[in-house]
Amino acid sequence: MGGVLVVTAMVLLGINVLLAAGLMLYRLRLARIDRRKRQTEDRLRPLALGLVEGDRPETPGLTPFEAGVFAELLTRYARRLTGVAQERLTDFFEADGHVDAQLRLLDSPRSWRRATAAAALGDMGSVRATDPLVAHLLDSDRDVRSAAARSLGQLCATSAVGALVRCMVQGTVPRIVAGDALLAMGPAAAPELRLLLAHDQPQIRERAAELLGSLGRPSDTAALLESLRDTSAEVRAKAARALGRLGDERASAALRETLADRVPFVRVASCHSLGAMKDQAAVPSLLTLAQTDSFDAAKAAAQALASIDPETVLQVAATEGASPHLHEKADVIAMESRS
Amino acid sequence: MSVLGQILEAVSIAVLSYFVLLNLAYLSFTFIAWRDLSRHQHSRGHAATEEALASPLSPPVSLLLPAYNEEAGVVESVRSLLSLRYPEHEVIVINDGSTDGTLQRLKEEFDLVPVRKVLREGIPHAPVRSAYRSSRHPALWVIDKENGGKADALNCGVEASRYPFFCAVDGDTIIEEDALLKIAKPIMDDPDLVAATGGIVRIANGCRVEAGRVVEVGFPRSRLAAYQVVEYFRAFLVGRVAWSRLNSLLIISGAFGLFRRSLVEAVGGYSTATIGEDMELVVRLHRYLRDRGEEYRIIFIPDPVCWTEAPEQIAVLGRQRRRWHQGMGETLWRHRRLIGNPRYGVLGLSTMPYFTVFEFLGPVVEVVGYLAFPLGYMMGVVSLSMLGAFLVLALLVGMLLSLSALLLEELNFRRHTRHRDILRLAGYAVLENFGYRQLTSWWRMRAFLDLALGRREWGTMTRRGLTRPHPKTE
Repeated sequence: MGGVLVVTAMVLLGINVLLAAGLMLYRLRLARIDRRKRQTEDRLRPLALGLVEGDRPETPGLTPFEAGVFAELLTRYARRLTGVAQERLTDFFEADGHVDAQLRLLDSPRSWRRATAAAALGDMGSVRATDPLVAHLLDSDRDVRSAAARSLGQLCATSAVGALVRCMVQGTVPRIVAGDALLAMGPAAAPELRLLLAHDQPQIRERAAELLGSLGRPSDTAALLESLRDTSAEVRAKAARALGRLGDERASAALRETLADRVPFVRVASCHSLGAMKDQAAVPSLLTLAQTDSFDAAKAAAQALASIDPETVLQVAATEGASPHLHEKADVIAMESRS
Repeated sequence: MSVLGQILEAVSIAVLSYFVLLNLAYLSFTFIAWRDLSRHQHSRGHAATEEALASPLSPPVSLLLPAYNEEAGVVESVRSLLSLRYPEHEVIVINDGSTDGTLQRLKEEFDLVPVRKVLREGIPHAPVRSAYRSSRHPALWVIDKENGGKADALNCGVEASRYPFFCAVDGDTIIEEDALLKIAKPIMDDPDLVAATGGIVRIANGCRVEAGRVVEVGFPRSRLAAYQVVEYFRAFLVGRVAWSRLNSLLIISGAFGLFRRSLVEAVGGYSTATIGEDMELVVRLHRYLRDRGEEYRIIFIPDPVCWTEAPEQIAVLGRQRRRWHQGMGETLWRHRRLIGNPRYGVLGLSTMPYFTVFEFLGPVVEVVGYLAFPLGYMMGVVSLSMLGAFLVLALLVGMLLSLSALLLEELNFRRHTRHRDILRLAGYAVLENFGYRQLTSWWRMRAFLDLALGRREWGTMTRRGLTRPHPKTE
């Protein structure tokens, strides 16, 4: 027994020493690489900026390490650029074989490499990557699917709308990633999203309503008005919010009717939207809600009133029996007017 | 062999078995954490966190900052919260009846104006004296209430919050500017699934803080704080990452945690009857959701960073550890029905038993071991070589676990920029086994006395504030 303990202790000691030494060596190595990378970036930055500006700078004699750093630097720039400047960088990535390299990495057996490549292809802006990225929306790894969806959004690959919608419905891509990608497609995403308003799962109808609101096209008003009569309260609430975002006056009357919805959070959503649309005709109903409704709906009604007609809020709040929500809003209005 | 000898032999074997099991568990956690952190590290480049900043789909968040006598650091904390990069958030400071100048400091710094704010009435809390809104920062609210303790202040904040998610933050902490984006990312990704998320807490002692930001990560000049740096790495980068992977995370630090407000309201808010309200709330959420058979996740994210000031005085640290252990004991007792209950899955069959046997009863076993082995040696039950080998083994395993945690930090985050800081931390990973570890066990043992006597005291937490350039050496 004692012998076993001694041997175990020796082994553990060895592991500890190796771990401590490995830790320091690893750190020193990384520090050296970081320093070299920083220096290389500083040296190559003028070249990269020249490329963004439209020069075709000579990049002779770049070592593989330097070429890698240069591509990484440009990929970072490309992520933040649009229009002609981005096209220039895309041309560079195509011409120098970086797009092909990333496309090859999409087939890597390691999921993190596939995910990194999928993300890089979006940053590089090559439309050639669209089909491979759509294919990787079915990858076995969630990170890869997510990176592919994000990149398809960056590429505004309208041909991928159907595939992205399927990912959203099946939940195979994070909701916000699929949603943002579809929003990036703009109007091209609207027809598929309108179809989803009739999906049999309320969560999907909810998301579709939310996205249509965020797309901001008044032509979707009619479809969203239908959703105000949905059997699911969550869908009605999202539709009400979406209509507020669209700001189409045709929705005002229906939103005012929704102030009488039996579910409080639907009334809350309608209050927000009517407030955002500054709908004067809603003032009497909002006043009633602010005085009598449950906490969240009364608060939202007072908030909407403050947006539409602050004078009325101040007047009503000064009367006896005014609701505490109106008092709160009146104080805020007074404070804001002073400052 | 005498009866006492036989008892000592049995105790020694039991302690040895306990030690082996505990360390096997720790090693498994390290392995799980290593895998999980590697994956996390690789995904950082394409996590689309930046895109979330511009997304209309990001949910708005209410940040709750309970403050009791925090005049030294509250202004810096509020500044850091106001300047967080997040699409839409409000900051609600709850002044929990401070007897120092906390409220006055806030009034002066942020031009607070009284507003008759209305709060929900679902979760009871101590009466509110007044509410204020900043005329310079429309997203900043301050609620001044009578003292009721941290849980009570948080309940008040939950009732005052406007948005569907709230993030509880300690008054003595600094949140990094993109930390809220990172901690909210799982909720953006799976809004119907994620109930709560927690982030890593790091120690700010020795760091340079300017305008509510940690601008340079330094090394604490207090030895006591340095030990805690190593300890926090182990707790957060190993323990919490592993439990989160098993969807059995029991602790989301009160210093930085994001919750779905409707769920917290449904379970009745933070418990004011326990001093470990953060752990108790998370266990209650698990219980509530599993009782209803709902699919959910409670997630720990290792890189949204919250900086906190660690105690540098032995008495203060001792009180803190006693309080934490007492809180854990109260939570485990309150939810004892979960322990070993197969209805609660991994939580009932693995996590709760682990926390009871290894985390809660750990100090008792350790102290029993410290007594039993020497006694056993004196009685001839344990040989000197066996005793020595065991002590050396315990030391080496402790070192291995701490160094592994340090390695995980280096592989994934590398927040300490100076090589010598890492060398010193490695040194502290060795030194902590000679005294510090035993001291924490002793403090945790004393928590049993507090539990038995029903003491519930927060004690005085002496803080110097995070803006001071360098903490004094102890």
